[in-house]
Amino acid sequence: MSKIVLSPYERQRRTRGITVLSSLGILILAVFIVSMNTGFMRLSPLDVLHTLAGEGTHQQKLILFEFRLPRIVISLLVGAGFAVSGCILQSLSRNALAEPGTLGINAGAGFAVIIYISFFPASTTASVFLLPLLALAGAGLTATLIYFLSYRKEDGLSPTRLILIGIAVSAGIYAFQLILSLRLDPRNYQFVATWIAGKIWGGDWRFVLALLPWLLILLPFSFYKARVLNVLNLGDQTSAGLGAPVEKERILLLAAAVALAGSCVAVSGGIGFVGLIAPHLARRLVGPRHQVLLPACALIGALLLLTADTLGRWVLQPAEIPTGIVVAIIGAPYFLYLLAKSKA
Amino acid sequence: MFSFKKKSLGSMKLAMSGLMVMVLFLSACGNNNAGNSANSGAEVSAAPTVEASTAPAETTAPAVEKTVTDSMGHKVIIPANPQRVLGSYLEDYLVTLGVTPVAQWSVPNGIQDYLAADLKDVPKISYDLPLEAVTSFTPDLILIQSESEVQNGLYDQLNKIAPTYVVGDALSKDWRKALLTIGEILNKTPEAEQAIKDYDQKAADAKEKLAGAIGKESAAILWLVQKNFYIVDETRSSGAVLYTDLGVTLPNLVTEIPEGTRATWNPISLEKLAELTADHIFLVNSDKTEGSAILDSAIWKGIPAVKAGKVHELSSTASWLYSGATAGSQTIDDVLASLVK
Repeated sequence: MSKIVLSPYERQRRTRGITVLSSLGILILAVFIVSMNTGFMRLSPLDVLHTLAGEGTHQQKLILFEFRLPRIVISLLVGAGFAVSGCILQSLSRNALAEPGTLGINAGAGFAVIIYISFFPASTTASVFLLPLLALAGAGLTATLIYFLSYRKEDGLSPTRLILIGIAVSAGIYAFQLILSLRLDPRNYQFVATWIAGKIWGGDWRFVLALLPWLLILLPFSFYKARVLNVLNLGDQTSAGLGAPVEKERILLLAAAVALAGSCVAVSGGIGFVGLIAPHLARRLVGPRHQVLLPACALIGALLLLTADTLGRWVLQPAEIPTGIVVAIIGAPYFLYLLAKSKA
Repeated sequence: MFSFKKKSLGSMKLAMSGLMVMVLFLSACGNNNAGNSANSGAEVSAAPTVEASTAPAETTAPAVEKTVTDSMGHKVIIPANPQRVLGSYLEDYLVTLGVTPVAQWSVPNGIQDYLAADLKDVPKISYDLPLEAVTSFTPDLILIQSESEVQNGLYDQLNKIAPTYVVGDALSKDWRKALLTIGEILNKTPEAEQAIKDYDQKAADAKEKLAGAIGKESAAILWLVQKNFYIVDETRSSGAVLYTDLGVTLPNLVTEIPEGTRATWNPISLEKLAELTADHIFLVNSDKTEGSAILDSAIWKGIPAVKAGKVHELSSTASWLYSGATAGSQTIDDVLASLVK
């Protein structure tokens, strides 16, 4: 690419992007600090600092480094993963309602996990690394099914059909999930129930390790494909006219979105709404260009989930509200507001 | 990708085991302080009597750290003298052995009320053992009832706080075996054996009195909760006490349930209950307010035992839903109070 002279408008847009991204980063840092202080055990900010400096008591270290920190990191990763996945799906389907949840990807991943739990209960260490793989397989199968069901030779991938079939397939999968979970013993059922509600249950560094490779590959990959997404967002015919290998790129990006959502679902359960709302928020803040939109999405998703997790731990102490429910409680009103506004 | 994962798994294992060693070391150091400062007067005064009673067997061998294998195959290093034990849902055993746990099992709407007299001052901990809450009690030994409570890595997390021993479902089915196992872990084998002997003696005495009072009459145990009835067989909780230990005749409805499909407490419909021919009904009523309407229904009033006024109502705080020496002993008291006049 040759050097491009930036128009004043373009320059303004870029500064805006940088401002938004950096203020999001600062916000995340702020919530991060609050989250470190929040929990069953009172740890003052000073205690946290002491412990971070390596001077805390054994108890404080345990709570901070082994219980809170991994959970915070997982919240951030999962939030970013869901948000970027949702953003890709929305752009690919050109449908503002697309997200891993509505497309049945969460359901598929969850189904795989529940099958695993109902047939191999109480298995420990191996499952931590196996679960993301299983969830991925479930998500992939569901996505493939939905893709083939909604693809028509004449008019390609219709956004509406994609969503409708996604909703139908996920309703079917949820029904099977329910049947399976009713056959579980009470304790396993409880695990599954809170899991479906979206509880970050893997508060352990191993889960971070299980999740990290996926995000380390898939997030940069989707950022790298930002230009392609810009083009695909224009519709099949236009993007084909612009010289993009539509089908190939779409499948590649779809796979990336599915893999992102699938690996996140495995650790966090079915947290909906993040993938739906984060892209909307991001678009309002930085506009539709994916080069900025995707990173903004990732940051917003991370911020949203970390906030939700912190609130969930704090509101009903000592009981915890599943993160997914907190997200829905925060997210639903905002989304209704968005819908009401965009009607005009 | 795979090799990366494998490598990270390996290094993680290394890090974990290093950490575990550190944690164990640290917790061992911390224990002495915690034990000394946090020990209640009761514990301290209880210790000498324990020593005295175990004297014949163990005078020469002071308690030492021991390594045991739990039901999930973990090698657990049990501290020499566990002072701050957390045994969620295993409180019956701890109470029987004279050990006061650092916290007691609870759900949002209650605790094990029948142990309230012994656990009055013991703080509550949620049944799902939130890690930070567990940490705040600084236990030096964690006992877990069932494998399913510590699934998906929770065991490893708990084990970072204190050595964690899983008793397991198989063992928990038979409270006598579970009590002996827990007694062994806590260096209280003689107490465990004594408790079983005492219980069996009490049961035998009661059995005799009952035989005189009701002969071969049958009795059903019903649990009413959220407008549903449940019935129990001879294998669990109060059923095991009444039928197995006290020799009371099983009612017709229980024997009709195929053995393979019997759950701990089997749901039973009101229509089915109409066929109950038991001479006595023990009713554990957990539905004092909402469910009482069902007890006014014609079907309920038509059951022979109800007609004859042979319903013995027990409050939801009774021990009848639980297993263990303490629970069983209280159940026997209730049975005697109801049937032997």
